[in-house]
Amino acid sequence: SSQSELALSSVVEMGFTDSQAEQICALSRFRGSNPKHALSTLTALFVLGLNPASVLKVIEKCPELYTVKEAQLQQRITNLRKLGLVEGSLQRVVVHYPQILTVPAKRIRTAVTFLREKCLFTMHQVTGILRDSPAAVLENTNHLEYKFQYVYFRMGVKQAEMVKSKLFRFSLDEVRNRHSFLERRGLYQTPDKNGQTLVINPRLDRVLHSDQDAFLKLASASAEEYDVFKRLVEREWRQEEHQWARWEKWIQEEGKEKIT
Amino acid sequence: EKWAATRPKHPPTSLALQHFDAAYSVHLGPLWPSVRCALLSERKYGALFNNFSSDTLLEDLGAQGCRDFISNVETEVQPPEPAVGDSGYQQLSPNIRCFVFPRGDVSRFKPARPDQDGLLGYYLMDAASVLPCLALNVQAGHNVLDLCAAPGGKTLALLQTASLGFLCVNDSSVSRTSRLRKVLRSYVPKQHLTDEKIRVTTLDGTHWGEIERNVFDRVLVDVPCTTDRHSLLEDDNNIFSKSRTGERRGLPQLQLQLLLAGIEAACPGGEIVYSTCTLSPHQNASVVEQALHWARENHGIQLEVVDLRRLTHLFRNTFHFAPDLHLGEMVVPHLAANFGPIYMCKMRRLT
Ligand SMILES: C[S@@+](CC[C@H](N)C(=O)[O-])C[C@H]1O[C@@H](n2cnc3c(N)ncnc32)[C@H](O)[C@@H]1O
Repeated sequence: SSQSELALSSVVEMGFTDSQAEQICALSRFRGSNPKHALSTLTALFVLGLNPASVLKVIEKCPELYTVKEAQLQQRITNLRKLGLVEGSLQRVVVHYPQILTVPAKRIRTAVTFLREKCLFTMHQVTGILRDSPAAVLENTNHLEYKFQYVYFRMGVKQAEMVKSKLFRFSLDEVRNRHSFLERRGLYQTPDKNGQTLVINPRLDRVLHSDQDAFLKLASASAEEYDVFKRLVEREWRQEEHQWARWEKWIQEEGKEKIT
Repeated sequence: EKWAATRPKHPPTSLALQHFDAAYSVHLGPLWPSVRCALLSERKYGALFNNFSSDTLLEDLGAQGCRDFISNVETEVQPPEPAVGDSGYQQLSPNIRCFVFPRGDVSRFKPARPDQDGLLGYYLMDAASVLPCLALNVQAGHNVLDLCAAPGGKTLALLQTASLGFLCVNDSSVSRTSRLRKVLRSYVPKQHLTDEKIRVTTLDGTHWGEIERNVFDRVLVDVPCTTDRHSLLEDDNNIFSKSRTGERRGLPQLQLQLLLAGIEAACPGGEIVYSTCTLSPHQNASVVEQALHWARENHGIQLEVVDLRRLTHLFRNTFHFAPDLHLGEMVVPHLAANFGPIYMCKMRRLT
């Protein structure tokens, strides 16, 4: 084996079975990976408390981790701990979404600042978002902001409920499709200034987490209707080229100070 | 978009929605959410084929994936037994063709282009609007009155039947009548628009009975109404704007007068089709009921209502019809077949 690959023997020594070790080494052929960083990454994952099977899973999902320098990785892990991902949740996040360790600490801090200052989430809520939907930190902040504002203003949902229903696991399109379908059917209403509606809005959790059948039941619709609807609104939204600009203006004129 | 910055506090579109929510949730019951969603989403069009155009569009339209819903009816299932008043039900006019994209297909038509004589190949309209024209069942040599005709979609459909005797086209609005004339010029060759064949007038249709009584074999009374779809989507020229409340409340009365005038204009044995593009029973069946009553009591005219179930049965795969209407038939919008609303009721003069 060449210089750029991990030595099988050193991997077996770390506690992997032979076949796990072979996979671990094969993955190290990933472009740009470096045996020194690969070894330190594997060690760091063990230090986090992951078992060999979990480590393999993490590397399979995200072989880019072999390119991260030891110091960087440590800094990122420390940063996540500081943001409230304590033992248990940190490990779950890393196993579920190892890409989080490829993101520079600075970028995560920017996302956190954004969530706190633009969307007024508490630090505790931000930790919840990191824990339940870590991918959110990689999303374009314009998207994130639009999604937040859509749910906050159009759907009238407050921050606590957004976190509880793991809003940021869903794409803007998923949220918008389901909400606007219910809205056009007369089953969802934007609350007025006093938070009142004429219909009883379903909870965000139910809107987002129902499987397709349960959602159709909630909307009392057929699968055919929802399918056509999604294709129609996709086109509607694409045509609303100025939508974003108009939305910004609207927020500025009458909405902004309402975020509380 | 609903949350645009320029939105007034109570735009007519949201007043319309409030009004429909209150009225139609009762009238349509569990069907309303589905109809509501369709009304608020992009509608479907039909391309009324212009037989006068020399363009070889048929293959073109076919290649785009649409089909003429009138000639492509499924016939293998037995239609319902002809009911009372259905005795004179004849062949559908074979000349009216209207292309639609299949159920669930959201493709759009391209705008029609002029042929070498400057005539357009098709007219885009709600495909369900063709149904009142089919129901009218115009025969060769018939004298026909189109009482509220502008901008002229149904007039064009009637003209496709070619063998008309004489066609009277009327609309009380000057600007809309001039639009109608423009439509006619863009679709129909000059030699078919001579004074012997067609007359376009700008009169108040409610007085028609005073001008010409007992004359027409067929009368189409396509009245002004709350135009539900338009009222939900366009704030401009919206009948739910505060300033037009009086006009809106007066619609059923105006509709009744127009229908009565149409009934008087028809000859004994002649047929009348009343149509609207609203779901409102006050502008639909109620108007017909009152007109039947008034015609009998005050004008001594006996009418029978003609059963249209065979027609709706033929097109049940293209449109969603409201179930169990006690008088007339109605196309209700549905996302997969987003046509309508169109209400129609056909009557025949017995005396
Ligand atoms: C539903 S639109 C007709 C659409 C037309 N049949 C078509 O298919 O294109 C109703 C029309 O009635 C006309 N109208 C309103 N009041 C009228 C009256 N008193 N007499 C005649 N026409 C009238 C309006 O100007 C309007 O053009």
